[in-house]
Amino acid sequence: MKKKIVSLFMVAAMTASLVGCGGGNADSSSTTDSAATTDNTASTDTSSTDDTAAADDTAAADTTETEAEPAADDIEKPEEITVMIDGTVFTKENAQAEFFAKLEELTGIKYNVIQPDHDAYYDNVGQTIASGDWPDVIILSSTYYSAYAAEGVLWDMTDAWENSELKKRQEAHNSTGVVEGVKLDGRLYGMPTTRGNGCVTYVKKAWMDNCGITSAPTNYEEYLAMLEAFTTGDPDGDGTNGNTFGVTAAGFIGTEAPYINYLPEFYQDAHPSFYLKDDGTYADGFTEDSMKAALERLADAYAKGVIDPTTLTNGTGDCRNKFYSDNFGVFTYWAGTWASNLKNNLENNELDSELVALPPIAEVGTYLDRVPPVWSITSTCENPEGVFKYFIEAMQDGGDVQFLFTYGVEGKHWSTAAETLYAGETNDKGESKEKVYAEGEFHMLDNLEIPGTQYTKAHIDPNLALVELVDDPGKETVAPEAKASAELFATNSVTADLIPSTDAMTEYNGDLTTLKNEIVAKVAMGEMTVEEGYAKFEADGGAAWSQQIVDSLNQ
Amino acid sequence: MKKKQSVSRQKPGSNKPLGVRIKKYAGFYVMFLPILVFAIIFYYLPMLGVRFAFTNYNGIKEPKFVAFENFSKMFGMPGFWSAFLNTLQISVIRLILTTLVAVVVSLFLNEIINIHFKKVVQTIIYLPHFLSWVVTASLFSLILAPTGQGLVNTLLVNLGLVDSSNMIYFLGSSKTWRGTFYAIQLWKETGWQTVIFMATLAGMNVELYEAAAIDGAGRWGKMRYITFPALANTILTVIILNLAKVMNLFEAAFVLQNDAVLDVSNVLETYIYYQSFNSGSIPNYGYTTAVGLFKSLVGMALVLICNQWSKKVREGRGIV
Repeated sequence: MKKKIVSLFMVAAMTASLVGCGGGNADSSSTTDSAATTDNTASTDTSSTDDTAAADDTAAADTTETEAEPAADDIEKPEEITVMIDGTVFTKENAQAEFFAKLEELTGIKYNVIQPDHDAYYDNVGQTIASGDWPDVIILSSTYYSAYAAEGVLWDMTDAWENSELKKRQEAHNSTGVVEGVKLDGRLYGMPTTRGNGCVTYVKKAWMDNCGITSAPTNYEEYLAMLEAFTTGDPDGDGTNGNTFGVTAAGFIGTEAPYINYLPEFYQDAHPSFYLKDDGTYADGFTEDSMKAALERLADAYAKGVIDPTTLTNGTGDCRNKFYSDNFGVFTYWAGTWASNLKNNLENNELDSELVALPPIAEVGTYLDRVPPVWSITSTCENPEGVFKYFIEAMQDGGDVQFLFTYGVEGKHWSTAAETLYAGETNDKGESKEKVYAEGEFHMLDNLEIPGTQYTKAHIDPNLALVELVDDPGKETVAPEAKASAELFATNSVTADLIPSTDAMTEYNGDLTTLKNEIVAKVAMGEMTVEEGYAKFEADGGAAWSQQIVDSLNQ
Repeated sequence: MKKKQSVSRQKPGSNKPLGVRIKKYAGFYVMFLPILVFAIIFYYLPMLGVRFAFTNYNGIKEPKFVAFENFSKMFGMPGFWSAFLNTLQISVIRLILTTLVAVVVSLFLNEIINIHFKKVVQTIIYLPHFLSWVVTASLFSLILAPTGQGLVNTLLVNLGLVDSSNMIYFLGSSKTWRGTFYAIQLWKETGWQTVIFMATLAGMNVELYEAAAIDGAGRWGKMRYITFPALANTILTVIILNLAKVMNLFEAAFVLQNDAVLDVSNVLETYIYYQSFNSGSIPNYGYTTAVGLFKSLVGMALVLICNQWSKKVREGRGIV
């Protein structure tokens, strides 16, 4: 009898522990729903919701043109929206609850937020879509955007945009081209909030001076000569020749479209993947002579030693660290705020921080503006017109909601109060990090998740926004080098092509991309010639897969 | 006679009706129930997913039954065969190497008389096991870099074995990647593998060594005639147990591979990963499930073969 009692007791204990585990899972699934599903209703004082909703109407009426004419149409404002967002919107650690509470206050809509871990975002998106339980709104990169649009996951917002005030605001800011650029077969399934941004080539001015280079290179010959001077000479002035490199990158080919933006001077007019030709048909640029010439240039430069030998295994973080350590002198990296980051980090390492942002050399012509991520409405959303009008449009209202998406919440992410940040703190070199702000001076606050660094934006980069923010207090805080680099890029870039998704692409592009990347790496490093590379491409089926995908795109 | 023997080996009470036996051991069955439920939910129900191997399924539209089309495509893909052969080669060589080196290291450790020194050595060689593969890969990328900052290449240049303008890209060349991979694997896992061998050695009867010493055996003789035979059964067990897992190879290969060495480093699990996340489109989960199912079937076949082998060499004792 004792044994039975003991065994029953143990069963109860084990069951309880399993239930406990289950509870944990439930938590974590609601976290997947997510780490994630932050029901901001809970974080907002419910009793105040009605008040705030009433106040919202006032606030929104002040700021949103679309709100100003609700009687003009019969679009119903949604009461609640489920949004799936990546880490480009504030995380829980960065006062996400306060951000969405403020958004709720401004729009009068409740938000259920699903925010998986940023690095695993698209795994989670795939799982969520496969589960059939779709959110109303979802952030998507270009690749997933075109794929999900082709599968009917996304609501067609073309007409809503065409007839919206948003389009007029974007027209006033000359940015409708960016929206046109994300149309698929003339239809719009997602709304970008910024330009895609891209990379410009930065050169260390001190290195140019040390090597006697008086003007920035304007063509490939001059560019290569500069890299050779940086590789064989003593550009860092440490008294030793040949202990530096010209340029480096995180791999010989990028991992996302347009793939070539870290080494544009070598790729020039080549397209390693599919692109839209001038005649309106699609082609695989990998099979064209321009790509073969690009591989020759890469192999030649690598053999000469002007490209960092560890390019193959570099991550972007490795590249940045090497740049800050004066291991190489030419770095093609993001335009805008990164110009300031690069400069500041060089200063932190007590190096000359002046960088020359190169206009594209003649053979490159223009830098590539990548296709920006978009906010899409799913086709299962019960009130897509309402979500578009009162959420998607509001995000770019040029007023309070856009301000919130640009700078966040006062007191959490930004402030105008007189204060001193990082008082008494020093950087690795022992220099003071202290920043003093006067009363009324707009400034971003210390990052809650990574103390010691200031926020730079909420979600919308003000330098890349498609709609101008009225009364932008952060405008004056943009560093001149960041502004200059952003302007250089804006005036010298074209938007990369958005490639639609097809069944043949689903079927073969995984193997095809792997094969192409292998050939690019081996040819660049001299392990095979260009001819051998293309023979392998043919023999391993790459040419056939490529043709099938091109045929499917042109059907 | 045989029947009689088998009857006599039955446990008392086993000839009683099932209901009686269940009632008698009801407590144990109830105690087992949560585990059974757990196993069904988390181990067996997910197996229903193998049905997708016979469909085209992108996670959005309803799966479309295509019978063996995915398997047919799989067997026609050069990338699949390359990954399959790489998996077998890398896993088997890795298994043999790590086991052999672990045995040798264990024998040497066993010979160390100073207990403090022995513990220090053991701790040092165990430590790499606790580093994540991501950290290990970063560490070795730096140590093996083909630049003046790479420790190994600098050493080779200083010794005059390598020209400074032609340093070896250990992780970036198909010729050197496999050897480098095995070396890193040995560095990371040998220490941990010695635990089981050291446990066997610790349990050995010291009188055997004393008797051998009286018979005139030296260190080598004792090792050859006592220690090594005593370890043989453990070595076999370790190999058999690990052989069943050879198809499971992802993390180490994934973090150490790169575009230039995929022909020698891409294994089935990384192949599935690239098919899922490198397609630039929504993957066909049916195809990746088919590859996964094939991998599982090969793994199961290896387990069954190992089990039979184990029964033969371990006097009827299987591993499952």
